Amino acid sequence: MKIELKSVTKSFSDRNEVLRDITVEEDFGALAIIGPSGSGKSTLLRILGGLILPTSGEVIIDGQRLQFEEKYLIGHRRNVGFVFQAKGLFNHLTGRQNITMPLIHVHGYGKKEADDVADMLLERFGLMNDADKLPAELSGGQQQRIAIARAVATRPKLLLLDEPTSALDPELTNEVLDMIKELRNEGLNIILVTHEMGFAKKACDKIFFLYEGRLLERGSSYEFFSSPKTPQSAAFLSKILEWNV
Amino acid sequence: MDIRKLFVKKENEKAKPAQVIVNMVLALAAIYLFFMLSLKRLDMKLDFSLLWKFRIRYLQGYKTTVMLSIVSLILSLVIGFISAIGSRSNILPISYISRIYVQFIRGTPMIMQVYLFFYIVGTAWGISNRFLAGVLILSIFEGAYISEIFRGGIESIDGTQLEAAKAIGLEPGQTMRLVILPQIIKRTLPSLAGQFASIIKDSSLLSLISVIELTQTSREVSATNFAVFEVYMFLGLLYLTLTFPISMFTKYLEKRFSYENRT
Repeated sequence: MKIELKSVTKSFSDRNEVLRDITVEEDFGALAIIGPSGSGKSTLLRILGGLILPTSGEVIIDGQRLQFEEKYLIGHRRNVGFVFQAKGLFNHLTGRQNITMPLIHVHGYGKKEADDVADMLLERFGLMNDADKLPAELSGGQQQRIAIARAVATRPKLLLLDEPTSALDPELTNEVLDMIKELRNEGLNIILVTHEMGFAKKACDKIFFLYEGRLLERGSSYEFFSSPKTPQSAAFLSKILEWNV
Repeated sequence: MDIRKLFVKKENEKAKPAQVIVNMVLALAAIYLFFMLSLKRLDMKLDFSLLWKFRIRYLQGYKTTVMLSIVSLILSLVIGFISAIGSRSNILPISYISRIYVQFIRGTPMIMQVYLFFYIVGTAWGISNRFLAGVLILSIFEGAYISEIFRGGIESIDGTQLEAAKAIGLEPGQTMRLVILPQIIKRTLPSLAGQFASIIKDSSLLSLISVIELTQTSREVSATNFAVFEVYMFLGLLYLTLTFPISMFTKYLEKRFSYENRT
């Protein structure tokens, strides 16, 4: 999949520019967006998902230019999957209902069809025992896996994940990362914001490194991790990897 | 045996059934004695049998109060919901009208609104049926409080829930129907039940415009038999038969949902 950004900027009224003039063209299968907190990673991801509008600039995904008007964006959101850091499941619905709700109310499935799709996914990812529980009764890892199942149930070509494991206890992180990796292996295109450098390095082919709203470095993740090219990315990596075993 | 154990419950523990019974009787007896003593000082004897012959009128009044309250509850839920949504609207005139409505109603006494709406607005628009006027006034009054309950409910919804609704491609109307409403109904149900008790009590003010509900019935009865004390004590009792079960129900709801909302 290919994304193109042309002079994308974003400023919120109460803050300085969060994204500054990002221009890039990248082919990817799995793209990791990394960088220090407040560097604009989540903002960039939300623009790609059509959840917020850039202040200026253009976004082109697989040759299709995003039109920044609500009607078009609703359609765009229906075609991509989005997973939040936490609490993205509807807390009044069970695991299964969370998966079937968009299928029924957005994509026009019948109840039976939607249940079948949900059961297939729940079965496959070992979530059957949790299907009828409310999010509050599930562990963080189970919640995130169901959120991912909901996002891919509609068969999107692109899955966006915003720090999907950073609210989790370490021992639950892997079950979520394994699931993302498995989906990637099936050919799903993935963009994720993450602090899991191991995953970015091993499971993602491309990297965006954001720093204070600028895209400082980009390209192959292998190259980035073996020889970072800017002092900022080198400093970031040494800081984040300091206590790695 | 330690006598204290009978009256004092342990910190963080529920009172034992025996404690509840003994102390509840004690508390009621104390209140009863106080009133009896007051009556004795006034040298008065109560005679509730004076009320018996008005039983048909009481029954009528009771029915009217119940009907007034139920119809007003439904209408005020509608008004409150519209106003809560309106106050959050991006269309400024709608937002301001909703906010002014809530501020005005909550910031002024109901007695003044009753007169204002009935004699000015009601007369101007030809609403002469007193029951209908009563329902409208009460609904407009309670709607402002219910609006605030709903607004609080909507604001208590986690922002990520709304973002998730957007992300899966819901339209604004669907977000309201499929995400916001189901979540706030659960959360606001105890407060709404409590508000229903308020509606019942507040309906007594409609006696001012001669809606013949419980309070007006009592006023009329006391004007005939001059048994003011009996009439108003009985009136209090009648309201309690309506509000007490609701208050118990509210407590039950609060308990139930406080467990469900735990995360």
